[in-house]
Order: sequence, then structure tokens, then C-alpha cells
Amino acid sequence: MGFLNLSKKGIAIALSAQMVLATQAVTMAQAEMLGTDAAISKYTALANRNALMDEMQRDEVRAEIEALGVDPAEAEARLAALSDAEIATMLTQMENDSAGADIVGTLFTIFVILLVTDLLCFTRFFNFTRCVR
Amino acid sequence: MKRFACLLALCWLAACAPPFDPDERLSFDAPTRAQITGVPLIQQEDFFCGPTSIAMVMQWAGADITQEEVAALAFSPGAGGTYLADMIGSSRRLGQLAVEIDNFDQLLTEVTAGHPVIVFQNLGFSVVPVWHYGVVTGYDFARDEVYLNSGQQDQMVMPFAVFERTWRRGDYWGLVVLPPDQLPASVDEAEVLSAAAALERVAQYEAAETLYETGAAKWPENWLWQFGLGNARYAQGDLRGARQALRRARSIDPTIPEVRANLAFVESEIAG
Repeated sequence: MGFLNLSKKGIAIALSAQMVLATQAVTMAQAEMLGTDAAISKYTALANRNALMDEMQRDEVRAEIEALGVDPAEAEARLAALSDAEIATMLTQMENDSAGADIVGTLFTIFVILLVTDLLCFTRFFNFTRCVR
Repeated sequence: MKRFACLLALCWLAACAPPFDPDERLSFDAPTRAQITGVPLIQQEDFFCGPTSIAMVMQWAGADITQEEVAALAFSPGAGGTYLADMIGSSRRLGQLAVEIDNFDQLLTEVTAGHPVIVFQNLGFSVVPVWHYGVVTGYDFARDEVYLNSGQQDQMVMPFAVFERTWRRGDYWGLVVLPPDQLPASVDEAEVLSAAAALERVAQYEAAETLYETGAAKWPENWLWQFGLGNARYAQGDLRGARQALRRARSIDPTIPEVRANLAFVESEIAG
């Protein structure tokens, strides 16, 4: 899963997302401690998703996507539609395909672009994307 | 779910696989050889290769445990074997950090880091499977050998190609079992976190506490380790310890509602 390698990248935007969550701070009295398991799934998924959406905001990624004739807003919408499990699967595949290297910088950019083109049926890079031609 | 019978068969003589090429098969520059010392060779009882593998790894780490004690938590008599899930579950019920691996990179990373790895192999053929668990304790590229403690008095030595084939038939399933004050070398943070939470789930709170502390030392910027630590201490009745950990979690990230909620909960109990 991408949490380790992406966490730094994800932290900045995760923080802003968490600020939103925090405004609905849990103030009501609770009957028991909130479990670690649920927090791990929730925040790991959130960090992964934020790292992806963060990458989509970068100029070179948007330029690349536009050069393919794709509207970045549509690309974002497709990305946002992925489930947590699909994002986790994809990040695992990224790590496997990057031959053990940390997914940072250019490599991550390339993967995200491949993901977008996958979702739009231009490529077939990721296992879980299904494109019926 | 797979099951197996722990029979030892030597059916791999008809070998025709290409030799193992580390440059091609590995994505990192593994040392040419590695050997972990101190893993005991235990003669397995009938069908007990799974429990025996866990006992060997735990004894290597210093635990006082027998294959029968592991078998009571892991072995399925009706199946005549030990399910993969029970290998993981029993290790955790015994207070160990247990994480799965699924490729050669991870296997050799762990072995070169000095961690023995339990592997799931099919020693027979695809159509006539002979399932087996063994413990990889070393390898040597130059001699083309993989070393296993495999439930017999003598160490088992396999050429890489044979080991590769038997392990591939087991879907490259491997299990790293470590005491909770050690971290696996090939598994990412999120999986170690989940393994720590799994220790809480089986009420191994002391082991969970140790693992959260170990993780927090390695990944100090992630509040989840302190959050888990707080929960594991609370579960043991250590309210002040729980408060301390949850306060640390809050100082790492003041915005997390779960941290604030649990901290408020613990503080209200302390105020009594």
C-alpha cells in the first residue's frame, strides 16, 4: 500500500481535509474508546486518495492530460470515483512496477497519468481498470 | 482456502525450469549469500509442519514454546493441516508481529536483515499437491542453494529453481513472525500498523503496546502509532500511560477527531 511512500506528499493536503473533518469534532459523550483498526483504515485510505488528487493539481500533470485531449476536470472526476480498495490496489501495483523504488516525483507523475489514460480507455496499465472496446 | 498434509515428497527430480537469475528476478542488489544462525531444527510430528515452523521461529527469537502449544491454536485436525489464516492468527495470539509477504524481493530482504521467513510450498505437483510449510534461514547464489528448516532433523538444501517452483505453487505465500520489539524489513508502514491493531483484536495488548512503541520510534511523524499506543494502554487499565500517548498523538496532529475523542474519554475517566 502506498501509505508509507506517499505519506509525506499526502500530509499537506490530508491536513486540510482533516481540518474539515475536525470542524465536526466529536464532542458528544462516547460510550467507549474509538478503535485503532477503524482509524487506520480511514486515515490510510484518506492519505492515499489525497496523494493522488494532490498530484492531479500539478501543472505538468494537467498539461500532460490536456495534451491528450482530456479535460482535467473530467480526469479528476474519474479519479474521485475510484473506491478506497481500488486506490490501494493501484498503489500496490505502482510499487511493484517501480521495482522497489520509492514512488516519488516523475515516476509518480507518470503513474497518475497512466491511471487517467487507463480510466479513459487510452491505455491498459493497471489490472483493475476495465475497458470494453 | 488451501490445506495441505505436511508429507515430504521428493517429486521435483523432473526439474526442467531455467536456473534462478538474481539479476532478473530481484529488483534490488541482494548480497550473494546470507545465513541466519540460531534457528532450531525441530523434528515435526505428523502433519505439524505449520505449528513446527512457528515454534522454530519463535524459539529463534527466544520464546519458550513447543509445536504442540502452537498446534493447539493453529492446527485443524479435520483438515489434517494448518490453514494459512491460522498461521497468522496463532502467531498473533502468541503475541507476535505477523505479516505476510508474497515475492522474492521481500523474502531475500527479510533473510538478509536476519529474519527467518515461513514459506508455504507445494512439494508435489499442481494436480497432486503436497502442501508444506518450512522456514527459510539462508541462501547462497554462488552455490545455487536455499536453506530451509523444514521439520526434519537435517537442514534442507534446495537449488533455487526447485525452491522457486515449490514456492510459486504456493502462490509465493510467506510469513514473517517477529517479537513485537522488532520490525520487518520488507513490509510498509500501513501493514505493520494493521498487524499491531490485529494484536489488540486478539487481546494481546502488551504485545500491541510494544509494537506501537517500536513503530512510533521508526515513524514518529505518524500520529496513528501514538493513537494505537493510547488504546493498547487503556485496554490494560493504564489510564495515565494512555493519556500520555494520546496527548502525543494530538501534538503530532491536533485536528484528528478520533484522537481528541479518546483523549477526552480517558481524561474524564481519570477525573473519575
